[in-house]
Amino acid sequence: MPQQRLIAPNLARLYEKAAEVFGDMPAFATRLKREHWQPTSYQTLWDRGSSLAAGLASLGVEAQEKVGLFADNRLEWILSDYAVQIVGATDVPRGSEVTVEELRYILEHAEIKFAFVENRTLLRRFDQATEKWETKPTIILMETPPPERSEILTLTEVEKRGAVFKEENPGLLRKRIDGIEPEHLFTLIYTSGTTGTPKGVMLSHANMISQLENIPLDITWRDRILSLLPIWHIFERVFEMITLSSGACTYYSSPRRLAEDLVDVEPSFMGSAPRLWESLHHRIHKGVQKSHPVRRALFAIAYWLSKHYHRNINFLRDQDLLTEKPRPLWRKFKKGYAALFWFLLLPWYGFFNATVLERIRQVAGGGLKATVSGGGALPREIDEFFNNLGIAVLEGYGLTETSPVLAVRTPRKRIIGTVGPIIPGTEIRIIDIDTGKILYPDATNSGGGRMRKGEIVVRGPQVMAGYYRNPEATTTVLQEGWFRTGDLGMVTWNDCLQVVGRCKETIVLSNGENMEPGPIEMRLRQLPGIGQCMVVGQDQRHPGLLVSPDPEELAKIIPPTLSGEEQNSRMLAIVRKEISPANGFKIHETPRVIRILPRPFSVGDELTKLFKLRRHAITDKYRELIAGMYTDRDQR
Amino acid sequence: MEIERQLLSTVDQALLLLMILIIMFGMGASLTTREFGQAFARPRAFLIGFLSQFGLMPLLAFSLALLLQLPPALAIALILIGCLPGGSTSNMFAYFARGAVALSISMTAASTLLALIMMPILLDLYASGFAEQIQAGLAAEDPETTFIIPTGNIIISLILVLVPVGLGMILRHFSAGWAKTAEDTAGFFGIIVILFLILSVSVRHGGLFFRTPVEIYVAAVGIGLTGFTFGYLMAKVFRLPYRHRRTISLETGIQNGPIAFAIILLSFSQPWQNEMLWLAVLYSTFIVITSSLVTLWYRRIGAYDYEVHRNEVVHQRLFGKDYQSPQPRDNWLKGRSVLRDKPEDLVR
Repeated sequence: MPQQRLIAPNLARLYEKAAEVFGDMPAFATRLKREHWQPTSYQTLWDRGSSLAAGLASLGVEAQEKVGLFADNRLEWILSDYAVQIVGATDVPRGSEVTVEELRYILEHAEIKFAFVENRTLLRRFDQATEKWETKPTIILMETPPPERSEILTLTEVEKRGAVFKEENPGLLRKRIDGIEPEHLFTLIYTSGTTGTPKGVMLSHANMISQLENIPLDITWRDRILSLLPIWHIFERVFEMITLSSGACTYYSSPRRLAEDLVDVEPSFMGSAPRLWESLHHRIHKGVQKSHPVRRALFAIAYWLSKHYHRNINFLRDQDLLTEKPRPLWRKFKKGYAALFWFLLLPWYGFFNATVLERIRQVAGGGLKATVSGGGALPREIDEFFNNLGIAVLEGYGLTETSPVLAVRTPRKRIIGTVGPIIPGTEIRIIDIDTGKILYPDATNSGGGRMRKGEIVVRGPQVMAGYYRNPEATTTVLQEGWFRTGDLGMVTWNDCLQVVGRCKETIVLSNGENMEPGPIEMRLRQLPGIGQCMVVGQDQRHPGLLVSPDPEELAKIIPPTLSGEEQNSRMLAIVRKEISPANGFKIHETPRVIRILPRPFSVGDELTKLFKLRRHAITDKYRELIAGMYTDRDQR
Repeated sequence: MEIERQLLSTVDQALLLLMILIIMFGMGASLTTREFGQAFARPRAFLIGFLSQFGLMPLLAFSLALLLQLPPALAIALILIGCLPGGSTSNMFAYFARGAVALSISMTAASTLLALIMMPILLDLYASGFAEQIQAGLAAEDPETTFIIPTGNIIISLILVLVPVGLGMILRHFSAGWAKTAEDTAGFFGIIVILFLILSVSVRHGGLFFRTPVEIYVAAVGIGLTGFTFGYLMAKVFRLPYRHRRTISLETGIQNGPIAFAIILLSFSQPWQNEMLWLAVLYSTFIVITSSLVTLWYRRIGAYDYEVHRNEVVHQRLFGKDYQSPQPRDNWLKGRSVLRDKPEDLVR
């Protein structure tokens, strides 16, 4: 079925057009209580949004001005976004987890004079951040203000004021909307970095509109989308924009209520993160384990059949991961074999799929057509599990700097182990990290440069204009339209992208938290017994540590007669004390698993001549050991 | 087609009956008393379904038998299949065909009960002519033997298979979880039974598949297919919603095969039993294939209608009973994949 989406030159026009075409259809739904939700129609949203926009204008918000938007997923968020877009301004969003320091930095750096604030908790942080300022930003509170702060404007007041102002100044909003150029910013997103300062990613209307034009997802006006991930993240936001432009309805949920809301809403689509699938995977397994032996056996049979059925059908449809140049004749031969196997499995799979697997799928609400997982790498085992189960988990890839989608698996190209093909209109290069040579595309190479590993560099209409007021940072990543992602990847023989790691040292945990290993390692190297060490934990729940021992010193603090396990846990206790909030580290940065290596790192193998860690070499060499650190169920 | 030896050995027959009991138990486990009552909640769809199952289907069987000039015993078997109530597998197919599962279940439940009254009447109406043909043939050879449709035995067989259904319902009443397991196990047995029968017949009567005349295959496949087709058309004539059309179509074509086996085994004697069983085996085999294909087809063509319906159901559940789900303005639906807001506006 073809995608049916509205396209407009800017988001304000998109919102206006959506009200014209979709009118009374529900655009957003907010939960009041179980089985009881409040819909808001496209028309209402437009009417309220433009009143609020007029209210902003009456307060003095100029075109292209930066307006703070500090709130989590809720109707007032999208309402505020409507208002900011309609008045021709730019929003600067952050969620409830923002710290006082970050808030202060953002307010200052973006020169914010007006800000939407969600509730009293955030208001307190906001007050702390602006404590010493003489002129403070005007706050528009989404909830009722505390009695002692009754002077604070509320969203309702501004909206009411705007409704009158709109009548008095006809043509005001029209002028603002028509004044929006495609290259004007619609949002300025400050990414949370742990080292240095947050960087403000400038995204234009054209960036977002290009995503609406090019993202190949079949969302229609009949779909129900559950909004779960933080809305200030661009990944969730692009989902809401696609939903709006398709005429579907977004249902605001939260991770706490997820299980209930899946049943309530029966979502047909949603943006999701690896964490969600990990926890669902865990839940399904626990459920199966607890069930009656007959059920367990039925599930085991069903899953086995499904796995082999999918393996064969994927091969027949050329949907298997091609890491080597395909040999057509050999493939044809193997296809005959696969077809036979497929045919033999078909009736059994059909039956077990219908009876056993269909019920397991209800865990995800039962109506799910597909879901896109992004914001981190999806573990292969979990990816395969759900796709074998018959839930189309489409993995995607992108960064805030690319608004965000660069590649996504599509129903037609659902190759597990990849993040799918690059979306239309986007160019990709794979660059050698050391030499800067273009590895892909490479006409001189017989495979065109496929399966060569290097940094992923992209160019396309979704690439940001740059970092706000930070030209140095901008030029290091953005040159002649080419954006350096900092991720390592390669292009498979299916012309799908595989992301294999980071070029930079930054470790991104599975909960999305970033951490820099450098400072931690530096501090730990000062401890007796630790010669070298490396923090691991990319895409894991928490960091781990590999310790390259200084055997003599180590023996003084930990008796070598102890078992390896005991030694590890003693060392962990020392490390945990060192990498603690008391020493200026964040709680999520503390290593939770540790392995003392049998042999110290050596120059030329794990270390460069300058005694720097060769992180990729180490990760490759100790791959199994690292995997073992995270497979222990108790650690998860 | 002559089947010289018994189609199934005595052990096979006993096994078959046991499996039928298990299947019927599983069917009962999928039902609650509420489902019987729900038939009256949507009387229109239900009535049309009833007409389709007990009006259309026997007539189709009768017409097919005449058209294909089947031998009288096979004609009786075909009509018997046509008069059967719906099987519980139809519920599963209705689910995957994006049909109305509740309607399917209540039709299955009600038709199983109603069969007690309807089957004798319908068999008398359509099959007695064929019975007389057999009787005439017999009278010419040996005036001592007689052949009549064993109506009493049929009713007794029906009651017998209804006992495990009742037991299954009792299980369901006490434990929904166990009932679900029983239902799945029974479904699995359904496939096993068909394979068991085919295997058993192949071993004992190697060439039977090749010796069976083509019109018998046509009858075995055709009764299901015509049931699907005319069931759908009937629901369409009465302008039922699409998902009801798909449901009634499947419910009409899919009959309760195990009951046919039970009735034939318990009520008819040799040499007719062999031929009749063979037709029932063929029907049960082909109906699994045809209904799977039809379900896949319905699933495809019904996707749009189903999504709209599902959306309305969720809206009314969450937003209130009176919520009317609006649809996009007309121009939206007219095929264009991306609606541009004045293309020249789009600076690129």
